[in-house]
Amino acid sequence: MTPNALKPVLGVAILIVLLALISLPLRAQTLGGSLSGIVTDASGAIVPNAKVIIKSVATGQPTESKTNLAGFYSVANLSPGEYEVSVSAEGRGAKVAKVTLTAGAKQTLDLALVAPSSNAGGPSLSDLGFSPAQTQGNPQQQALLDRRSHMLKVHQRLGLITTGPLAATIITSLNAKGRRGTPGNPTGRNVHTALGAVTAGMYFTTAYFAIRAPKVAGTKTHGPIRVHKALAWVHGTGMVLTPILGAIAYSQLSNGQRVHGIAKAHSAVAVVTGAAYGAALLSVSVKF
Amino acid sequence: MNKRILLALLLLLPVRLAGADSQWILQQSTLSYHVSHPLHQMDGVSHAARGKGVCHDGQCDFLIAVPVKSFESGDSNRDLHMLQVTRGAEFPMVIVRTRVPEGASTSAMIRADLEIQFAGQTAHFKQVAFQLVTQGDTTRLSGTIPATLADFKIDPPSLLTIPIKNDIPVRVDMTWQKEK
Repeated sequence: MTPNALKPVLGVAILIVLLALISLPLRAQTLGGSLSGIVTDASGAIVPNAKVIIKSVATGQPTESKTNLAGFYSVANLSPGEYEVSVSAEGRGAKVAKVTLTAGAKQTLDLALVAPSSNAGGPSLSDLGFSPAQTQGNPQQQALLDRRSHMLKVHQRLGLITTGPLAATIITSLNAKGRRGTPGNPTGRNVHTALGAVTAGMYFTTAYFAIRAPKVAGTKTHGPIRVHKALAWVHGTGMVLTPILGAIAYSQLSNGQRVHGIAKAHSAVAVVTGAAYGAALLSVSVKF
Repeated sequence: MNKRILLALLLLLPVRLAGADSQWILQQSTLSYHVSHPLHQMDGVSHAARGKGVCHDGQCDFLIAVPVKSFESGDSNRDLHMLQVTRGAEFPMVIVRTRVPEGASTSAMIRADLEIQFAGQTAHFKQVAFQLVTQGDTTRLSGTIPATLADFKIDPPSLLTIPIKNDIPVRVDMTWQKEK
């Protein structure tokens, strides 16, 4: 084989070696396991900035880490094998646990610190028989509750603000038509229609924040909030029907006709809707 | 055979006596916090507390714990808000520690220094008065802990943009059983 003929073979060989070298760290990364978890103290409270040492039992090689503000730690690229995990936080206690990692595994190990020796003579939380699920904090659940409360606060504020245009719409309805359903003054009708549109827009935005607020699993609804939710079905339906009936009435009046047919129900439906809305507001505001 | 059991008991007895002089177990409890708002007065009640007291050298160390979410006010929405503002999912337990003299149960009233862990904070309450009624090995304890939202760095939740009052007195009613 001539040197020229060897060139392509040599090129392919170099390429294979290069690819093999490049793939080595990737392969090592795939094989390495990771260990993560949440550190809590004896009371179940999250422990930020706790020192976490993960020591290989076989080699004695330690890997250090710290928990973040949520009490979470994570260490990647750990070779398969047995590890001793020790965690400590000044004044809040310490804990040592063992864990075995397999290749590529994403192991979770939550650790509850044992309180420091100052109260070693007294009973501990574990003496009271609470399960770890009861005593350990859950940052994800807290985040869900925070999001829920935030959305319901917006819902509450928007709901209160909506009472303004709602009341104005009801008041201006007096000038929306003439006597006995005759067309009457078009300006009054237009003002009433515009305020009604603003009310509907704000109402559905308010409703959005209640409907989209995260649900908390395992919660059985009871108390005044049940009345509030039941009334929402009444004023929710009313808030859909009222503008439709209003649009029909508007069209009839604009054509010089008296309000007739189904559109005659516009006022009655609006009154029921407004009353249900007010009652829903009171149901969660005032204790009866 | 009976001699062996007797011997084993005699051997174990000093170990038990050295371990603890006596201990107290919480039998029943009613804990309630009171919230005041211009439009509302409401109470959240829990019967889920567990407690234990261990006595050594004339002093008894007590630990009482109750899940935050076990308090019910009669409205599930309000209880979820309470859970959120007190960070009850992150810090699920209210933990109370105190140390009282062993002979205190014979008094009609005691004053105890309390350490309370709640909402990720630890607050100390000095000389909280409790009434005691003792019948045999059972002691009924009642009193009010003058807690405030500020003690635990809790932002006062508001209703209709009006915040609730800072004071959240906690009424305590417990029945303890003494065990030798």
